[in-house]
Amino acid sequence: MSTNPGQEAAMAHDEHAAHEEHAAHEDAGISRFFFGHVPEGVHGGLKQYGLLAIFLAIITLIEFLIIVPEGLQGSGVVIAPLVILSVIKFFCVVAFFMHLKFEHELLWQIFVAGLALGLVVALSLVLLFGVFRPTPRAFSEPRQVPFEHHVEDHHEAVARPLPDELPPPADPADLAPAAPAGATAAGASPGQTLFVGTAACASCHTIQGVAQGVLGPPLDGIASAAANRISGYSAEEYIRESIVEPDAYTAGTADGLSQDYQQGLMSATMAGIVLSDEDVEALVEYLLQLR
Amino acid sequence: MAHADTTHAPPAHPPAHEEETTTGINHRKLLMWVFLGSDCLFFGSLIATYMVYRGQSIVGPYPRDIIDVPITTVSTFVLLMSSFAMVMGVAAARNGNQKRLIQWLWLTIVLGSIFIGFQVYEFNLFRVEGLRYETNLFSSTFFTLTGFHGAHVTLGIFWLICLAIVAARNPAGRPSHLDVDIAGLYWHFVDIVWIVIFTLLYLIGGFDGPPEAGHAAVQGWNWVTGLIS
Repeated sequence: MSTNPGQEAAMAHDEHAAHEEHAAHEDAGISRFFFGHVPEGVHGGLKQYGLLAIFLAIITLIEFLIIVPEGLQGSGVVIAPLVILSVIKFFCVVAFFMHLKFEHELLWQIFVAGLALGLVVALSLVLLFGVFRPTPRAFSEPRQVPFEHHVEDHHEAVARPLPDELPPPADPADLAPAAPAGATAAGASPGQTLFVGTAACASCHTIQGVAQGVLGPPLDGIASAAANRISGYSAEEYIRESIVEPDAYTAGTADGLSQDYQQGLMSATMAGIVLSDEDVEALVEYLLQLR
Repeated sequence: MAHADTTHAPPAHPPAHEEETTTGINHRKLLMWVFLGSDCLFFGSLIATYMVYRGQSIVGPYPRDIIDVPITTVSTFVLLMSSFAMVMGVAAARNGNQKRLIQWLWLTIVLGSIFIGFQVYEFNLFRVEGLRYETNLFSSTFFTLTGFHGAHVTLGIFWLICLAIVAARNPAGRPSHLDVDIAGLYWHFVDIVWIVIFTLLYLIGGFDGPPEAGHAAVQGWNWVTGLIS
């Protein structure tokens, strides 16, 4: 055929256009659909979407198989492969099922902007509260005031020293007398005042009409129970040890309680609270009255 | 896409969708993508909240006592297949094949409902086992996140049922390709959110215990802080 280059180009162009027109009513080839440039108006069909669905199902199966060995369950080793596999799944669905690959780039930008913002927010939160957690806790724990239900004179119970009036937590001698100022209800013993105040016992323990904590064992009738917990210990000795060395013996269902309490929890939560010997004695004296 | 719509729409396609826009993107479609972008933030925050409180519950049941990974793998597979059915429905709508469209829509609806059935079963099992919304940090953050996801799926099911009914009543070009396409975007988005939830809450976080058992996480973070400092 003797055609000049101009004509050839025009014909090629026509052919190309015709091909595109034709392809628009068919589907794109598999490799072109997933990896190549697809002209506008060309879409996938059962072949492409079915293949992708099988691919995604296989990834899900692999993810499951990764955590089948018990040694890998909850281990840090599997985090990276699992995250990578789910990111692949994520973007396959976005690019092909949501056909973002074939869309106006503005849609990509909008979605990626939202996704990036979401990631930044999530990462910031996890960093703030995960990595930098110890600092605010060390500050707030000695200052925490337990929440109380069913207090008759609500205003009196709520009144407590403003943060400015609180002494620095590091000085144990100043700590003890700080809370009683506002928190003392009329007629309460020094031990009870400590219990609901600076010693913060009330945030975890329950005493009818005094405190409603749930993390530690209830202390109603503790004076009677304490005498029988450890053989050879008097009630007074048992209670003192439970305050000073909470992990020496952890009460549980064996003692007739409704649940087992967690070893190490009290020493961990009480880490910022310092009690003087007098404080301990006052608490022991108060708890011994709970028969 | 507006251009593609005009080219390939069925003959009875209502002209309302052929509007010209400054971006060249149909306004409803643009709106859906903007919504999905913002929904990333919504779920991002809920997922972050779960991760922040992960491994810090001091009373049980803990995830390792109660999370059932094999069953959830099955429900994840079901949701993934519903996405496949949905995309086939969109393809059928594009080709103007109303009969196929209705079939794929109903298959999507059934698969989505099976997924919700798994979730109802799981939530109820947790409740019976003593994991209520207020039990611990794990239950509160878990139920909030997966509950909102379940609500999204449920809304999607209602949406698709509406489309299927409209399609059955109006064989000629209703719902339009765009109607189905936009519902499909929403449906697939719900699927990708679940991909993230499944990985983080089940495959990675499903074996968490009380704080000392969450040691791997603590070590991980110590490693990260070690890098930073």
